Amino acid sequence: MSPMSSLNRRALLTGLGASAGVFAIGSSAVIGQAKPRVVVIGGGAGGGTAARYIAKDSAGALNVTLVEPSRQFVTCFHSNLVVGGYKQMADISHSYEKMAAANGITMAHDMAARIDRDRKVVMLAGGQALPYDRLVVSPGIDLRYDSVPGWGREHETAMPHAWKAGPQTTLLVNRLNAVPNGGVIVMIAPPNPYRCPPGPYERVSMFAHVLKKAGKDRCKIFVIDPKENFSKQALFQEGWDRHYPGMVEWLGPKIHEGVKSVDPKTGTVVTGFETYKDAALVNVIPAQFAGEIVRSAGLANASGYCPIDPASMRSTIDANIFIVGDASIAGDMPKSAFSANSQAKVAAMTVRSELTGSRVFPARYTNTCWSLLNDDDAIKVGGQFEPRPDKITSTVPFVSQLRESADLRKQTQAENIGWYAGIVADIFT
Amino acid sequence: MAVRRFIASGFLGIACQMAGFMALPAHAADKAFGEYLAGECVTCHLPSGRQVGGIPAIAGMPEISFMALMESYARRERDNQVMQAVAGKFNSDELAALAAYFASLKPE
Repeated sequence: MSPMSSLNRRALLTGLGASAGVFAIGSSAVIGQAKPRVVVIGGGAGGGTAARYIAKDSAGALNVTLVEPSRQFVTCFHSNLVVGGYKQMADISHSYEKMAAANGITMAHDMAARIDRDRKVVMLAGGQALPYDRLVVSPGIDLRYDSVPGWGREHETAMPHAWKAGPQTTLLVNRLNAVPNGGVIVMIAPPNPYRCPPGPYERVSMFAHVLKKAGKDRCKIFVIDPKENFSKQALFQEGWDRHYPGMVEWLGPKIHEGVKSVDPKTGTVVTGFETYKDAALVNVIPAQFAGEIVRSAGLANASGYCPIDPASMRSTIDANIFIVGDASIAGDMPKSAFSANSQAKVAAMTVRSELTGSRVFPARYTNTCWSLLNDDDAIKVGGQFEPRPDKITSTVPFVSQLRESADLRKQTQAENIGWYAGIVADIFT
Repeated sequence: MAVRRFIASGFLGIACQMAGFMALPAHAADKAFGEYLAGECVTCHLPSGRQVGGIPAIAGMPEISFMALMESYARRERDNQVMQAVAGKFNSDELAALAAYFASLKPE
C-alpha cells in the first residue's frame, strides 16, 4: 500500500466518522464546525467594537456571537452630559440590531453565567452553551459594594452611584433636580483604579452647572476623595472657581481622614474630619474591580483586574481568551471607552490572524478623554501608547492647559460631541 | 491557437505589471495596513464622511491633501493636541498607507 492511498483511506474513514458523529449530535454541530467560532462577552465599547471588527473584517469566515443581556446599550460615556441637562437618555441609548445585521453578528441577549475554560465553552444564564475557538471578554467593572462603610447594593436608590449608566443615571438626575437651594451634595469619590478617571470631577461640574442654572447657587458640593490628586485636577479646580465660586469643596484624604460611615436613611456621611447631615444628595462612587465573569473564571489577579499581554490584549492566564476594556490591566491607559475601543481593535486583529490567517500588524493604542466644565468650556487629556514587554506604555501624552482661550475650550467641546458620534458609529453600525 | 492566446496574454500581463510597477512610488502605499491604522482615526472621524461637531470629515480626501495636513500637524504648524500626537508618531510609509485608505473611501 502506498503512503498516498493510506492517507486517502484514513481521510475517508475520518470523514465518515465525523459525518456519523454529526448525524448523531444534530445539525448545529455541522454549522459549528464549519467555521471557527468567536464569542464576545459584553456589548459595550470594548466588546461591541471587538465583535464588529472581527465580523466585519473576516467577511463571513468566522462565526461571531455577541453575548449581551441588554437590547439597548446605554453608554456610560456622555452620561454626565445627561446629568448636566445637555443630553437626554435617548441620545446615549443604542440598539444592536443594525450592527448585528450589517456585520453578520449573532446576538445572544442573555447573561454569561460562566466560562468553562477547559472545554472552551461559555455557559449562558438561560442554559445555552456557546463553544468558542477564541473568546473576547469585555465585562467592564463591577462595584465593590463592601468598600464604603454603611453603604451596599440595597442602598443604591437612597445613595445612587450612577457609575453604570441606565436607571441609575435617571435617578441621579431626578435627585439632583430635587436639591433645594442651600442643600448639600456629598460625592464620595472612588480609589484608583476605576472607570473614567476624570468622570467624578466632570460630574461635580455638571451638578454645579444644573444648580447654578436653576438659581440654586447657595448649594454646596463636598467631594470626599480617597486620592491625594486626580485627573486634570488643576483644570477642574480652576473651572470650579471660575464658574461656580464657593459651590464646590474638594477634600483629599489628609484633610477628611477617610469615610467612617454613611447612613442612607438620614443622608449622613461621617468622615474623620466632619459629619455631613441631611445631605440632599449623596453620590457614592465605590471602589471597583473587573466584572464578575472574569474573576470567577480565574482570569483576574489579586488586584481584581485581568493581566494581559501588552502586544495583543491576550490574557496572560489563558491563551484562547482576550480581555479588553475596563476589566484589563492596560498599563498607562485609563479605563475609558476610547481605550476599550482601541484595545478591542488590537484584539480583533490578533484573533482574526489566528483563525483566518489574515495579516498581523503592530499593536497601536490611543486614548482621549474630554470633560465638560460648563457651557462651551471643555478640557481634554490623552495620548498615544505602545506595547512594551512589561506594560502598555504612554509615549506622547497631552493635556489641556490652564488659561486657554474661550474659543479653544469651545472647540474642545465640539470635538467631544463629534467624538461621541464617531465612537458610537464605530460600535453600533 | 490556445498556446498563442496564452503567450499573448502572458506578455500582456508582464507588460501591465511593468507599467504598474513603474507607476508606483518608491514605497507603495499599503491600503490594508492603512485600513488597520485607520482604526484609531475612525473612533472620531466618521468613515461615512459626515461631519459631526468639531470632528472634520476626512473620508474621500485626496492623498496629497491628507499627507500635507498630517505632516503639518506632525511639525506642529497646525494646532490641535490630539492631532499633533496622532500625526507625530506615524512614519512616511504609515502616512502613505493611511492616505491611500481614506482616499479610497466614498463619502455617502
